[in-house]
Amino acid sequence: MAADGELATRATRTLTYLQAISDGLRTEMRADERVFLMGEDIGVFGGAFKVTDGFVDEFGADRVMDTPLAESAIVGTAVGAAVVGMRPVCEMQFADFISCGFDQLVNVAGKMHYRQGLAVPITVRLPSGGGFSGGPFHSQNPEAWFMHAPGLKVVAPSTPEDAKGMLIGAIRDPNPVVYLEHKNLYRRVKGEVPEGSYETGFSARVARPGDDLTVIAYGAMVHVALEATAPEQVDGASVEVIDLRSLVPLDEEAILASVRKTSKVVVLDEANATCAAGAQVAALIAEKGFEDLDGPVVRVAAPDVPIPFSPPLEQAVLPGVERVKEACRDLLAY
Amino acid sequence: MTSSRTEPRTLVDVEMPQMGVSVAEGTITEWKLSVGDPVVAEETICEVTTDKIDTELPAPASGVVAEIVVPVGETVAVGTVLARIATGGDAPAAGEPPPAVADAEPAPAAARYSPVVSRIAAEHGIDLATVVGTGRNGRVRKQDVLALVEQRAAPAQEPPLHIESPYVPEPAPAAAAPAPAGGTLSLMRRQIGAHMKRSLETAATCTTWMECDMSRVEAARRQARVGDLIGITALPIVARATIEALRDFPALNATLDGDRYEQHRAVHLGVAVSLGREGGLIVPVIRDAQELSAEGLAARIKDVAQRARANRLAPDEVHGGTFTITNPGQYGAIMATPVINQPQVAILDLEAIVKRPIVVSDDDGNDMISIRPQTILGLSWDHRALDGALAAQFLSAIRRRLESWERG
Repeated sequence: MAADGELATRATRTLTYLQAISDGLRTEMRADERVFLMGEDIGVFGGAFKVTDGFVDEFGADRVMDTPLAESAIVGTAVGAAVVGMRPVCEMQFADFISCGFDQLVNVAGKMHYRQGLAVPITVRLPSGGGFSGGPFHSQNPEAWFMHAPGLKVVAPSTPEDAKGMLIGAIRDPNPVVYLEHKNLYRRVKGEVPEGSYETGFSARVARPGDDLTVIAYGAMVHVALEATAPEQVDGASVEVIDLRSLVPLDEEAILASVRKTSKVVVLDEANATCAAGAQVAALIAEKGFEDLDGPVVRVAAPDVPIPFSPPLEQAVLPGVERVKEACRDLLAY
Repeated sequence: MTSSRTEPRTLVDVEMPQMGVSVAEGTITEWKLSVGDPVVAEETICEVTTDKIDTELPAPASGVVAEIVVPVGETVAVGTVLARIATGGDAPAAGEPPPAVADAEPAPAAARYSPVVSRIAAEHGIDLATVVGTGRNGRVRKQDVLALVEQRAAPAQEPPLHIESPYVPEPAPAAAAPAPAGGTLSLMRRQIGAHMKRSLETAATCTTWMECDMSRVEAARRQARVGDLIGITALPIVARATIEALRDFPALNATLDGDRYEQHRAVHLGVAVSLGREGGLIVPVIRDAQELSAEGLAARIKDVAQRARANRLAPDEVHGGTFTITNPGQYGAIMATPVINQPQVAILDLEAIVKRPIVVSDDDGNDMISIRPQTILGLSWDHRALDGALAAQFLSAIRRRLESWERG
């Protein structure tokens, strides 16, 4: 693990979010021969989104394994390999398909340490989220399913630098880690990414400091939050944006510290509202931040409906800049 | 609940409660209800004071107040019956509002305040009804109450050397509350008076003074940055030095009750807190103060002082002290003869720290005049328990620590 100070002085490259994920995988595979990949069409084809493009040439088919269309088999095989000392990384073609591997992930991987005392250091990559007319089977944000299953860690980076550092951190973590990579960030978001190997901790970061109101978000919604609360959008108000980065563990202190400062909070999810990650954040604030509140904890999330295929309908369902801006302006005026 | 209406009337006693392990008696300060009033369980029936701590006494049962046994102003032992409540019969059942409430005019909708606004207002003693809100529909927002706090703090004078002493400065000499022209002393004043008088009658009180150079302390406290404590005051540093000196001189960390003299291993430090413009004084006790650093003491002193003024100390928090510090220094007085807090055997008085020209010697033994912050430490001690030489040695031990203070 690199110290923060040292990391800041490293050479960087400008990478997309997707390239940063590839870079993280490649870096850790070169450094640790126990790391291998499993997924559908990840070998010669390079994966549905080309995250593993060229990997099979460098690492060979033994470490970049094409699998049948059987998510249960992918996760189950990974659990077995992890128990005997390997560091498998599973790719779901789309996060939505993890439901077929649910039992292996939630009941087997998540409870192995509790039942048998065995570490299961697997990483399951979930390309998640909507915004590109993927329809109801290719646009979901299923992170809350796994937050509700003890034994799993759940992380969701929003920037290229974090995408690389958190993926390396996930692979090295002794627990099963569900790694959510937002498809809509893949080629849309670019950033400076340090060279070489580094781990990014599973704790929140302040994406933009502010004094008047806090927006708490993760993944793609961090970018929506930043755009919606730029000073010119909110009459010059100073809005803090917290990027959770990790949902399990949840960085309670970072959340409560921001509530202490601003006393007003908007919690933002791209996922369907009921029992989403943001619901947990809102409950935490109600329980432990009550004395610091100067207004209701406001939630902005997708309504409890499937994500529509139709572009205008999808736009109406997913939380966007306008909705977030209105929610913030409303709470600022309260 | 209808069955309760057919039950025979029974009387439930309201007793003086045990409000802390060391509290033996209490005084009724106010009856909230009269005989014949309906009462619901847990409703406040009267207010009780013990050693200056006020407590609201909840009714043990629902019913009707049948009898008030102990009148206002009377002090009775724990367990004494104060009143009786008639339950059953026509008494309202628990959970039902008493008829008086049901018959009352509906109260006008009270303004609601958010948790953070209520908390800031309570911390700064702000009456929210007087605050102009800038939120939706005139709602009082956090920034409104913060602006008021800032506005109040604005005309801050040059802070005295003792900043944030637990003593509250008077608003201004001209605006000082005029002494009431006459009337009976308040309960608080009578209790303080009795306590002080008893001390002077009991102890053979002597006072010893010693000058002390506070340069190192002043430097340390200006540099201190610990958590939220931006600069600590001189008091916790003096307290820390005193606690260390008490460990060397356990004869002063003691209590004398009649002929029974007892030294204590732990230092339970009393810190005198003025209750502000309404007058009065209370001495909350910081238990096991020897475990705390100067920073830790600063935090605890601030905490107990705030709660003392908000009347939120628990009865046990004003008992069991083994040594007391009093610190009225910021009004400019330089010496005092404090009264020992019985049954302790000594009390340390920290008065103003003032800059004075004093003679100092350099390493080569050359004398020169230097401007130094000086204070006079005063120690009142009980000649029954110890002698003047020990008192002077003890003061000297405190001084030595303060003059070579390096932490903070």
